Amino acid sequence: MRTDPSALAALLRQRLIVCVGAGGVGKTTTAAALAAAAALRGRATVVITVDPSRRLKDALGLTELSSEPQALALGDGAARLDALALDTKRTFDRLIERVAPRPDVAQRILANRLYQELSSELGGSTEYMAMERLHELLQDARYELIVVDTPPSADVRALLEAPLRMTELLASQAVDFLKSPAAIITGQESSLMRMTLGAVLKALERWTGLTLLRELSDFVSGFEHLVDGFRARAQAIEQALRAPDASFAIIATPEPNTLSATLAFDRELGAGNYPVAGIIANRVYDFPPLLRGAGRQIPAPLRDKLTANYADFAALGARDRAALETLRAEASVPLLAALPVLEEAPTSLTALRRAALQSYSSRVYADSAAALRRRGFAARAGAWTVSCWPAMRRSSFILTLTRLPCSASILARSRL
Amino acid sequence: MAIPRLLFVTGKGGVGKTTVAAALGQHVAERGERVLVVEMAADRSLAALFGHSALATEPASLAPRLDGVRVETRALVESYFRRLLRLPFLSRRLFASGTFQAVTAAAPGVTEFVVLEHLVQWTATGWLGRRAPYDLVIVDGPACGHALRLLGTPRQLAALVPRGPLASTVGRLVRLVGDQTHTGVLLVTLPDEMAVSETLEARATLKRLDLRLTRPVLNRVWPRRFSAADAAAVAALRARRDEPLLAAAGLEITARREAERHLGRLRRAFGAAPLPVHEVCREAIDPSALADIGRSLARGLGADAN
Repeated sequence: MRTDPSALAALLRQRLIVCVGAGGVGKTTTAAALAAAAALRGRATVVITVDPSRRLKDALGLTELSSEPQALALGDGAARLDALALDTKRTFDRLIERVAPRPDVAQRILANRLYQELSSELGGSTEYMAMERLHELLQDARYELIVVDTPPSADVRALLEAPLRMTELLASQAVDFLKSPAAIITGQESSLMRMTLGAVLKALERWTGLTLLRELSDFVSGFEHLVDGFRARAQAIEQALRAPDASFAIIATPEPNTLSATLAFDRELGAGNYPVAGIIANRVYDFPPLLRGAGRQIPAPLRDKLTANYADFAALGARDRAALETLRAEASVPLLAALPVLEEAPTSLTALRRAALQSYSSRVYADSAAALRRRGFAARAGAWTVSCWPAMRRSSFILTLTRLPCSASILARSRL
Repeated sequence: MAIPRLLFVTGKGGVGKTTVAAALGQHVAERGERVLVVEMAADRSLAALFGHSALATEPASLAPRLDGVRVETRALVESYFRRLLRLPFLSRRLFASGTFQAVTAAAPGVTEFVVLEHLVQWTATGWLGRRAPYDLVIVDGPACGHALRLLGTPRQLAALVPRGPLASTVGRLVRLVGDQTHTGVLLVTLPDEMAVSETLEARATLKRLDLRLTRPVLNRVWPRRFSAADAAAVAALRARRDEPLLAAAGLEITARREAERHLGRLRRAFGAAPLPVHEVCREAIDPSALADIGRSLARGLGADAN
C-alpha cells in the first residue's frame, strides 16, 4: 500500500484545509493533528473544531466556551497554534449583528423565539456556522493556515453549500408568501382560486393554533433586511473554498461500512469541483501475517495466548489492507497517509504532538528491512509493511521528521 | 420488561446503530414475531446488511416476518400536507413555489411531527382495538441529537398548539411516546471517551422527557484475554524488545481496560449493566456474526423472556 507523503507535505503548505468525512472516523482529532503538524513545521495555524471530546478539549486547552482562539504551546520552536471550538449559536448571533443594517433590526431578530430555536437547532445551522466561522478567520492576518473540522454530515455538498442555500431560502418567495400568502397565485389565475387559498390558509392558521404562523412571518420579514449581507458572505465563503490555496482532506477509516461513505465523499466533492488533496486513513490495523517462529523466546502459555490474540489482529490487518487497496483503486484522489491505530487516542498535548508527527511522517521508517525482519515482521519488498509504532517509541523519531525531505525520497524509492 | 414496540436505536455516528438494529430485528423475527426495521439515514447501510441495494418507502420483506422500510422525510412532509390541503392544484402549486420548503424548514417540529406520526401507524393499536401491523418496529436511528429532537417534539408542540385538530394528534403522540411499553430508546455507544460522554448526556435528556430507556449497548468491546500477570509480562517483554505479537497484545490489553472503564461508567449512570457486543474481526459482518449479536442482544434486553 503506497501513500503519498509529498502530497501530504503540499497539503500542509496550503492556506485552508477542510477536513470532511463520515461520523466517527476521528475527524476532529485528525484536524487537530494536521494543524499541529503544520505548526511544528513553522506555520501559524488555527484549527476550528466541531464538538471535540472533553479530553481533546483539555489537550487543546479549550474550556466549555472557547469559541475564541486559544493558544497552545507546542514548544520546540513551533509556530503559533490556536484552537477554538465552534459555537453555533454565538457565531449566528454575531453574524446577525454584523449584517443587520441597524442595531434595532438585529435586536428584533435576536429576540425572536423562533430565531432562538433555529439558530441552534435547525438542520444545517451548524454547517452554516462552521463555514461562517471560517470566513471570519480568513480575515485574520495572524494565521497562515486554517484547518477546519466539519460537522458529521453524510451530505458533503449540503455542508459546503449551506451558506448559499440558507441565503437562497431567505431570499425566496417565502418572504413574499408570509407577508401576503396569496402572492403565490399569479395573475392569470381566477379570483375564485385566490379566495380558496385565503380560506385554506385561514384553516391552516386555525389548525396550527395561529401563533406559529405569525411568529414565523415576523421572523422571516426580519431576515429580509439581511439577505444582501448574507449573500455577499456566502459568495466569499464559496470563493475561499475553491481558491487554489484551499484543499479538502477526506478523513476515513478502513472499516468496510465507512468505505462506501468515503468514496461517496470523493465523488460528491469531485462533482462539485472542490479541490481535494486526498484521503487520510485513520485507525489502520497494521498487523502483517506473523513470521514463523515469532515469539520463540516467550514461555509457551503466554505465547499461545499471544498467538491466538494476534490472529484477530492479523485478520483486521488483512481487512484494512484490502480496504486501503479498494480506496486506492476506486478513489479519484491519492491516499495521503495511513495512520495506524493507537493504543491510546491523543488526549494530551504530547500525544497530539506525537499524532501530528505521525500523520506527517506515516510510513517513514528509520529502520532497515533487516531490522524489521529481526522484529518478526514479514517485510517483503513491495508488500504491505509495518507501521511506525516501533519508531514512535524512540527519540530518534523526531529526527526522522526533521530529515523528512530525505526520508520522503527514500520512501518514494522503496515503494512502501 | 419486554422490548418496547417502537424502539429507537440511536447513538453517535459510526457506533454501529445499524448493526444493532439489524441483528436485533433478525433475531426477534426468527423467534416468530412480526418485525419492521426502519432506515432513517440516507446511507443505505441497513439494506446492505440484508443484501439489498436499497429499501423501499413502503414496507417490503427482507426475511420471513422481517420487513424493511425507508423513511424519506421530505416526501413524507409533502404527502402530509397534500392530505391536509386536499386540493391537488393548491398543493402542487405550494410545493412548486419553493415557499413550502422554506416554511417547513423554518417551522420547528413540523418534520419531526410528520415522521413520528408516520412511525406510530405501524405500532399503535388501531380503532376498535385493531391489532398493530407489527409486534416490533426498530428505527435504525437518526444520530443522537436528531432522535432527541424527534422524541421531544410532541411535548414541545403540545405547548405551542393548545387546541384544534392538530392538538389532538399531538396529544396522541405525547401519550404514545410517553407510554413505556410502546416507545423506548436503545442507546448504542463505543468504548470511547466522547461516545460514552455523549451517551450519558443523551440519557439525562431522555430521562427528563420521561422516556423509557433500555439497557445501553457498548459495541466493539474486546474480550478479556490477558490476566494482570500476563499484562505485566507483556509490558516487561515490550520494554526489552517490542514486536508485533506483543504490540497486538498491548493494544488488546489497553482496549479491554478502556472498555471496562466505560462499562463501569455506563453501569453507574444507567443503574443497569450495559450489553457488550464484541469486536468482529472479519472482513465484514456476515450473517452468522449478525445472528450471534442478535441472540446476545435479545437475551440482554429481555426479549427472550416473554
